[in-house]
Amino acid sequence: MFKNKIIKTVLILFGIGLLIAGGVGFYIFNMPHRDVQSLNSDYQLSATAIVAEYLENPDGANEKYLDAEGESKILEITGKIASITTDFKDQKVILLKGDYAKAGVTCTFTEITNNSILHLKEGEEISVKGVIRSGATFDEDLEMYENVILEKCSLLNKNQS
Amino acid sequence: MKNSTISLVVIMAFSFSAFAQTDNKLVSKKTHFKFYSHTAVEDIEANNYSSVGTININTGEIIFSVPMQSYEFEKAKMQQHYNSAKFLNTKKFPKSKLKGKISNLDDVDFKSDGSYKTNVEGELTIHGVTKKVNEEVSITVEGSNVVLNTSFKLTLADYEIAFKDGKPSTNIAKEIEITVIAEY
Repeated sequence: MFKNKIIKTVLILFGIGLLIAGGVGFYIFNMPHRDVQSLNSDYQLSATAIVAEYLENPDGANEKYLDAEGESKILEITGKIASITTDFKDQKVILLKGDYAKAGVTCTFTEITNNSILHLKEGEEISVKGVIRSGATFDEDLEMYENVILEKCSLLNKNQS
Repeated sequence: MKNSTISLVVIMAFSFSAFAQTDNKLVSKKTHFKFYSHTAVEDIEANNYSSVGTININTGEIIFSVPMQSYEFEKAKMQQHYNSAKFLNTKKFPKSKLKGKISNLDDVDFKSDGSYKTNVEGELTIHGVTKKVNEEVSITVEGSNVVLNTSFKLTLADYEIAFKDGKPSTNIAKEIEITVIAEY
């Protein structure tokens, strides 16, 4: 009788253990993406400043802003709208760039944040939050400057904050 | 003094090349890179909309610069694996590059509408490893619009992207398919 009880307890504990392990595994497998819009920005700077930082010291800037697992820094970038375009996923792309700057920051919005920028026009100064994907460089094969790339962007309302 | 002279020359050279590109260099307006891996266990897909490319219509030179952290996966965990030092190491190698040339440039007329089959020979650099590639690329001209399409297979081991053990070694194909569309 006593032996049966031990076996029963062991089996139940084993079952619970399996469920927990399975649950954790399932959670990790289905772990949602980081919600960039709801997170605080790590750095606030102008489009000109981040471009200058990358052109001066690309390795240092990559070390500072890029993450080894792709969860790179969330930046708040302020700058003047040089162009507004749409990509192949129908996401809006705003280029923030100074008048005489060599490169700027391209900010790709999302299906959800697209609508918040429809009223914007070239020349307006705005602030955008997003995750950095790569920095600005002069590429000698393209023979042009590449912009800083910011994705999962949302528009920040400076007047209200 | 000497330094400033040199930098002036460099600046001038850059600005001349900037002028030159308006004549014969097309710059991409939008791009889509997709990679697709098929195994019996699962199909994995990742999409990238942030690459930049150029076509030089005089020389047939085709360039793409691909920001590697822009690849979006359905599952966050896969994306972390992909970026990590074990696989693509995107912090150390944030960009991949294709540097190619149309070998049958005479068959392409960028001035008249049509769809042209071309062959692009060149070098592909991923994960800091450069390999020769030779792929079929289709170019469609419609007025001032030029669209490039291609799809090719890539063996991950060639680029020293290894999946020695664990889930990735069984769930990721040894050979993956890359699909590219670019509008200029």
